[in-house]
Amino acid sequence: MKKNIIHRVSPIVYFGSMLLLSIMVFLSCSRSVDINRVVIWHQMRVDERVILEAQLKKYMELHPGIHIEAIYKETEELRSGFIIAAIAGQGPDLVYGPSDQIGPFQVMNIIKPMESLFTKDWLDSFNPKGITWYKGHLYQIADKLGNHLTLVYNKKLLQKPPETDIELIETGKRLTVDSNGDGKFEQYGLVWNYTEPFFFIPFMTGFGGWVMDEEGNPTLDNPGVVDGLNFIKDLRDKYKIIPKEADYNIADALFKDGKAAMIINGDWSWAGYKKAGIEIGIAPLLKIIKTGLWCAPMVSPKGFSINVNVRKEKEKLVIDVLKFLLAPENQLETAKQLNTMPTWKALYDDPFIKNDEILMNSQIQIDRGKPMPVVPELRAIWDAMRPSYQAVLGGVKTPEQAAKDMQVLAKRKIAEMNE
Amino acid sequence: MNRLYKNIFIFTFVAPAFLVLIGVVFYPFIYNVVISFSNMNLRHIQDWQMVGPVQYVKVFTEPTEPNFYVIFLKTIIWTFVNVFFHVVLGVFLALLLNQKIKGKGIYRTLLILPWAIPQYIVALTWRGMFNYEYGSINIVLTRYLHLPAVEWLKNPTEAFLACILTNIWLGFPFMMVVALGALQSIPHELYEAADIDGASWYHKLKNITIPLIKPVMIPAITLGIVWTFNSLNIVWLVSNGGEPSDNTHILVSFVYKAAFNLYRYGYAAALSIVIFFILLIFSLSFMKKTKATEAAY
Repeated sequence: MKKNIIHRVSPIVYFGSMLLLSIMVFLSCSRSVDINRVVIWHQMRVDERVILEAQLKKYMELHPGIHIEAIYKETEELRSGFIIAAIAGQGPDLVYGPSDQIGPFQVMNIIKPMESLFTKDWLDSFNPKGITWYKGHLYQIADKLGNHLTLVYNKKLLQKPPETDIELIETGKRLTVDSNGDGKFEQYGLVWNYTEPFFFIPFMTGFGGWVMDEEGNPTLDNPGVVDGLNFIKDLRDKYKIIPKEADYNIADALFKDGKAAMIINGDWSWAGYKKAGIEIGIAPLLKIIKTGLWCAPMVSPKGFSINVNVRKEKEKLVIDVLKFLLAPENQLETAKQLNTMPTWKALYDDPFIKNDEILMNSQIQIDRGKPMPVVPELRAIWDAMRPSYQAVLGGVKTPEQAAKDMQVLAKRKIAEMNE
Repeated sequence: MNRLYKNIFIFTFVAPAFLVLIGVVFYPFIYNVVISFSNMNLRHIQDWQMVGPVQYVKVFTEPTEPNFYVIFLKTIIWTFVNVFFHVVLGVFLALLLNQKIKGKGIYRTLLILPWAIPQYIVALTWRGMFNYEYGSINIVLTRYLHLPAVEWLKNPTEAFLACILTNIWLGFPFMMVVALGALQSIPHELYEAADIDGASWYHKLKNITIPLIKPVMIPAITLGIVWTFNSLNIVWLVSNGGEPSDNTHILVSFVYKAAFNLYRYGYAAALSIVIFFILLIFSLSFMKKTKATEAAY
């Protein structure tokens, strides 16, 4: 009898119905939209993450029934992952990162304009540098200002940090030591990551250059780039105060091991150096005597944006979580633990912020820095700078040729991106 | 038709797996083909349109630095040097491990170790080891072998060599395990008969061992070639995304950069399809030439 029933059904129909059943099973396994659950994707490093987790825990204790999940992703992975997820109508409710991700996210229309979601009074409580507007809309509110490079020095090896390029060379020579006479230096005056053009920006600006004009067109073929590159080459080959080769990890390890007196690194690194037992001092980057300009790093806020797919019914909760994370007491707690600059204006009068030596110098550096452009073209500019910058340090290109090649490549890459 | 009825239970069990295959293989593949004919990029990610084979033309003619042909050549060198050493080292070590030696288990575990460590850790550790001043490789070269230090990560050729060395270290355990399995399945009588005939070690290797491990090794080599050709992690992490000056790219790392660094999704999809066909044609002709699917006995 059973056989007869099976015989009456066409195998194709049977196969189709099994497929349909499987689809239903799979779909029933998928997670439905939970309006009491907020997901945050961030690229915070470990010490930042610990503070975030603690703050979220506090929020969840205050609001039983609400669940907040913070998921770490490496910066690039976060960016590409968020693009893919948001275009497919999914993704986290809040996405956290430096402000330069706003450009591509806005062009792709995957983050929400936020100006109508908050009151003007509340927004006015922030340092204007901490809230990122792009093309007439507010797209990011930051909890930390800076993400900027400064001169970090080991107080055991150096009491007074150099203020000018001339002083840097003198100090560097004194602190680059070959103690056993084998022709190799056991200690360097200065280190930094010189594979990434982001770390070249202060030298470029110190000699009067900048990456792009007001319209977002690259301006890399300029004397600032050439002089900046020549200066770095001289530090390495003529004055020999920096290692022959150093990427981020090597520079970081040298400084942590006390084998480098100074390092150019960002505010994200300070807590790590303290943890490694280095007594650090923070000083603003140098003044270039020839131009009279201060080396200006790029300064960018790091903050939260809202996924365009967050539905109206969930918006209230997402905003509440965001407000909690940006609240002055939470920002102050972060600043105290990590020495990062908060964005809540009233906190600048707090005794800790006012009197902390690291934060004071950090503030000077922020004021001297240049805001990082948020336009997507910046990505093409980094990509165009990297090969020639590395070629100059590898001795394959002259700085003049490198500046020309950077400009040509940047223009082409921007055209490719925008085609 | 009757056979179809008989196989009705097979259909039942295959249906969910088939659905997963549609979801994770067929659909993404077809979608990739579609966007390879589109203008999808940063500016046209939501409103992309079909533009014909424009992206394919770009793949072959765009004056990128380095261009497609140079990267393709590097990919071939990368693949063949890697797989050659994976197989030679793997089979050699498998032959050693197949002997009656003391502490075989310990050696086997140690030799499989490179495979067990996450690739990310391996790549970054090797990158540190290749550092000019502080890397252990240069320290060994200069201090113990009295050779000049090599600028591993700064010069294009040396940086590419550094990636290859890392991947060789990472890849030989797989071939070793496969070859060891194959060696253990060879009937011992064959060697005994060869011994009676007075065959030398070399003759036994040439006439018994190699022909009998071939049916296992050929599919493994084919897989190894496809994996190595498409191995993004090591090149990307050891060379820090193609450094110096984008000179250490292989095709997949170049695709990755186009798609995720420069948001050129249409172009990256077209290049992916080109890679797919290169590998498809290679695999089919390699399998046919080596008669890998034919029985050994």
